[in-house]
Amino acid sequence: MFLDVRGEICPFPMKKVQEALQRLPEGEVLEVLVDHPPAIDTIRMLATREGFLMDVQVAGSGEWRITLRRPAKAVTP
Amino acid sequence: MGLVILGAEAALIAVGSRFDPLFGAFGALGVGFGVVLQRSRFCFNSAFRDLLQFRSGRTMKGVIIGMAVATAGFGMHMLNLQPNASLGAIAPEAQVAPLSVALVAGGFLFGIGMVVAGGCVSGSLYRMGEGYAGSWVSFGGILAGLLLASHHWNWWWRHIIQPSPVVWMPRYLGYGGAIALTLVALLAAYLFVLWVESRGGVAVQEYGPPVPAVTFREKLRALAEGVVGRGWPAAVGGMLLGFLNTLSYMAHMPWRIVGELSRWANGLATLAGIGPGRLEGTENLSGCTLAVGGTVLTHGLLLDVGLVAGSLTAALLAREFKLRVPRTPVRYLQSAGGGVLMGYGSGIALGCTVGAFFSAIPSLGLNGWVFGIALAGGAFIGLRVIERLP
Repeated sequence: MFLDVRGEICPFPMKKVQEALQRLPEGEVLEVLVDHPPAIDTIRMLATREGFLMDVQVAGSGEWRITLRRPAKAVTP
Repeated sequence: MGLVILGAEAALIAVGSRFDPLFGAFGALGVGFGVVLQRSRFCFNSAFRDLLQFRSGRTMKGVIIGMAVATAGFGMHMLNLQPNASLGAIAPEAQVAPLSVALVAGGFLFGIGMVVAGGCVSGSLYRMGEGYAGSWVSFGGILAGLLLASHHWNWWWRHIIQPSPVVWMPRYLGYGGAIALTLVALLAAYLFVLWVESRGGVAVQEYGPPVPAVTFREKLRALAEGVVGRGWPAAVGGMLLGFLNTLSYMAHMPWRIVGELSRWANGLATLAGIGPGRLEGTENLSGCTLAVGGTVLTHGLLLDVGLVAGSLTAALLAREFKLRVPRTPVRYLQSAGGGVLMGYGSGIALGCTVGAFFSAIPSLGLNGWVFGIALAGGAFIGLRVIERLP
């Protein structure tokens, strides 16, 4: 799933990511494009609270690509 | 546009230095404030909002640390300015304001406004330098709010502010007692923030693993990455702001923003024939008082313009500058409306999150604490407002 929240400032990027994570199908990855640096921190807080793994890459001048995924489930032998 | 602002700052420093040697110092201080705000993403709005919304105290802890640094610095400087505090005269230029309903109402309106607009006054200024179109709209709203507050000022002054008491702690406790009490209160506030965080139940890994660096070249690259790459920790930002604030007071006055902005708003309005006229009682007050007239070139002008220029410079160096345009009209309304609330609130409360809070608590009055609590109340209401927005 892809979400473009460029142009939005706090707390809206985080809010839109929260809504998207609730709709995210099992096994899929959410990719978010942001251009508001503090949103990286608020989305990280959200990811930690909701138990998602987060990765941040620079996507251009003042833009970042955030990937959110559920951690792999531990396999019981 | 960026180059124009940088050029304007350099020209102001060059022209101003011919009249007043401190212009260079205040131009540099303004740039310093802007660089630190941009690099550490130091946003007073998020300090309050994240604590309420996420139980995250990342920025608030930075704010508290910055005020502790400035408390020590201001205390020593005020001791030099006014050695015998018990005589009753407050140290010159200290951000000490009357404890009035206007202070509470102003803080409350400001708290709502900053959350709705998505940034306080200093936050809007540094984001103007980063290329946020919405922050320029907020800035217009702030000027309009300050003008409106100036038109109502004489009423506020006569009925609310003038009869209210001023409490400056060194008068009763001496400098040692006032500094110690303020530092203990800041420590208590810090512990309170930790307690709020602990109730959130999650530990957020704020910074990624350090970049491994063995060779000199790698170490240089890691240093550059720390300075212009990832954002600085809020605690580092707070300490540097507290230090710059102390330097600013030692040179002339603590860091303050909106008094100067009100001079711009009222000056433009006077030219347009809708100026507020004489503002009563402002000569009896210290800090971010509403202003009309006076000279154009002031230390405050250099601080405010320098802040935007400094943030722009830092954003360009960190490759974070970008023209950011809101996609929905609602955001423009939020910026403008929140700006007006902040302008009006800071007008009657004698300062914004900087002048009435970050510089006020270290000035050892009680007004900074009252304003801070009112801000938190307003931020709580502001959060309820934006939760309903798309």
